[in-house]
Amino acid sequence: MFFRRTRSIPEEYLQNIGAHDDLLRALFVMTQFDGRTVLDGVDLAIRRGEIFVILGPSGCGKTTLLHHMAGMLPPTMGSIQIDGKDIYGIPPAELDELRTHMGFSFQHGALLNSMSVLDNICLPLREATQLPEMLIRDIGRIKLDMVGLIHAQDLEPSDLSGGMRKRAAIARAIAMDPDLVFFDEPSAGLDPITAAEIDNLILKLKTVFGITMVVVTHDIPSAFTIADHMILLLDGQQLAKGSPEEILSSKDPRVVNFIGRTMPLADPAKVDILNYVAGVDSRLPEPRGANS
Amino acid sequence: MSPSATESVAILMPSRFDRETVPALLQEVRRGIHEGQHRICLDLREVESFDSAGMALVVGALRAAREAGLQIEIQGVQDSVYDFFSLVSVERLLEEPQALPRPGFIEGLGGLALPLAEGSQKGAILIGRSMWGWVLSPFRGQKLRLGKIAEEIFQAGNGAMFIVALIGFLLGLILAMQAWVQLKIFGADIFVADMVAVGVTREIGPLMTGVLVAARSGSSIAARLGTMVINEEVDALEQMGIHPNRYLVAPKVLGLAMATPCLTLVFCTMAILGGWLFGVTTVGLDAMAYIEQTHQALRTADILAAVIKGATFGALIAAVACSLGLGVRGGPEGVGRATTRAVVTSIFLIILVDAFFVLFVKLGA
Ligand SMILES: Nc1ncnc2c1ncn2[C@@H]1O[C@H](COP(=O)(O)OP(=O)(O)OP(=O)(O)O)[C@@H](O)[C@H]1O
Ligand SMILES: [Mg+2]
Repeated sequence: MFFRRTRSIPEEYLQNIGAHDDLLRALFVMTQFDGRTVLDGVDLAIRRGEIFVILGPSGCGKTTLLHHMAGMLPPTMGSIQIDGKDIYGIPPAELDELRTHMGFSFQHGALLNSMSVLDNICLPLREATQLPEMLIRDIGRIKLDMVGLIHAQDLEPSDLSGGMRKRAAIARAIAMDPDLVFFDEPSAGLDPITAAEIDNLILKLKTVFGITMVVVTHDIPSAFTIADHMILLLDGQQLAKGSPEEILSSKDPRVVNFIGRTMPLADPAKVDILNYVAGVDSRLPEPRGANS
Repeated sequence: MSPSATESVAILMPSRFDRETVPALLQEVRRGIHEGQHRICLDLREVESFDSAGMALVVGALRAAREAGLQIEIQGVQDSVYDFFSLVSVERLLEEPQALPRPGFIEGLGGLALPLAEGSQKGAILIGRSMWGWVLSPFRGQKLRLGKIAEEIFQAGNGAMFIVALIGFLLGLILAMQAWVQLKIFGADIFVADMVAVGVTREIGPLMTGVLVAARSGSSIAARLGTMVINEEVDALEQMGIHPNRYLVAPKVLGLAMATPCLTLVFCTMAILGGWLFGVTTVGLDAMAYIEQTHQALRTADILAAVIKGATFGALIAAVACSLGLGVRGGPEGVGRATTRAVVTSIFLIILVDAFFVLFVKLGA
């Protein structure tokens, strides 16, 4: 089960999945919770400075994959490499050091309730740097202003709306000027304008700071706006991988279906019966074969 | 030095303008603002890489200069720095909101007393409302939820049984010891039995049991309800037309009102047992004589008083804990506050009500 700690990955394999100058690689990731397989053989490679989007329906394992990549949860099998090093094979102290270069914006905010919003943002700076307090406050305020929350700096997290909490979480994720940031559904539950501002912020973070970002999202237009590369997950399996253009030109019906957000067509048999019951149609539908 | 040199101070920012270099620069900028008379200039021409700490320094310098009434100029700004500042509004960053004033000493004292009064009042109102709602519920075609009450009795009663019994036993032992020290002077050793039996049943038993139940069940009820409030579970119940008073509060009040007298009786029995053990082993009293003495000393009224007190205390504890739990605001912090308050307020109320009991009995006699 723990072969990932010892076995090295064959070079051809890396070439095959297009891994060159990658910051992060996930290899053969397989995850089980209580014997239930949640992720099944996910491979991906994320290049330095790009925005990598993980798309997929609810419950398909996106958050779980993100937790693996951020060093929070080792997969059942497979390995996660950052800068070519297996992050679950290195000593814990080294992983801690690595974590100070990563930011994580949690799906539900995960702000600390015992302190104000600004203190939440300043917390990592206060704990992990030697900066003077005056600068820390200003850094915190800069980050809050980036997400449009500076007016809420003295509020308690419990007094924020869901969308505000999410934006505060984004501000905290970038507080330390990380090199690699994970966003778990940064714009879910936000209004379209704020969501677009978040997309814009993510793009700016890429161009201004060259931050590598991994973004989990449901929002297909947003995904295609920001992504350099993306992976489409369905039930823990990778359905498609590549640049937005490659995904768009995919012929796989499941991909087309997900991207096109087409609802599955209504079953004519059910509609007919409904019409009959509702009195719209006086004819009882003919019974169909079980396989049709 | 020429006058123009002191009028304008220029500070050159290094190529790496980040967390490592900024703390030292902060000193320099402060000095510059202190020395400068009209103008200060931040020169960013050399900057190759920067981070938020660098940008925070720029913002800090702008603010400090504005406060000192100096002109400030930023030179050599590159595209990347412009890009950075396109994400924020410098004007917004420069205005700091006013800090909230802290409460003074007297207000602080008020802040200590107020929760007691508030908790007591809310608890009393809640007892009335929830019981009324409960009594009416069969007439409104709603279920009485007897199963829920049984569950509450079990939770409060069974969990506390061991600790109540243990403390009761030890207290009886201690009480007998204390009584004996006094009574043996008069050669009235056998009256240790009376002291323990009456003292425990009328006063100490209900009181101690009340305090234990407040600490155990009161705190847990307040915490559970408070958590439900912040998770919007209580709102959800209300929205579904399930009134929290009837669904959550009434079973807890009734449950504790029934469990506490039982626990009180356990406490008293164990305390008498403790006294008996002391009397028989240390004082050398006859085992049967002690029991006979206890039997004579205790009147039915004493036991009834213990039961009534226990029921009253139980209901009080549940009502206070429920009202404070349902009143939680402000996230997990609020839950913590409500839990502490529930224990403090209900212990205070127990003692207050106990004092009334004593007064009532004295006046009645
Ligand atoms: N700690 C856990 N223990 C057991 N099962 C878990 C755990 N975490 C996640 N799961 C299961 O793993 C599956 C994927 O969960 P995950 O949170 O990764 O989904 P997701 O793609 O992020 O969904 P959403 O878009 O709704 O956030 C779910 O079926 C969930 O029940
Ligand atoms: Mg998720």
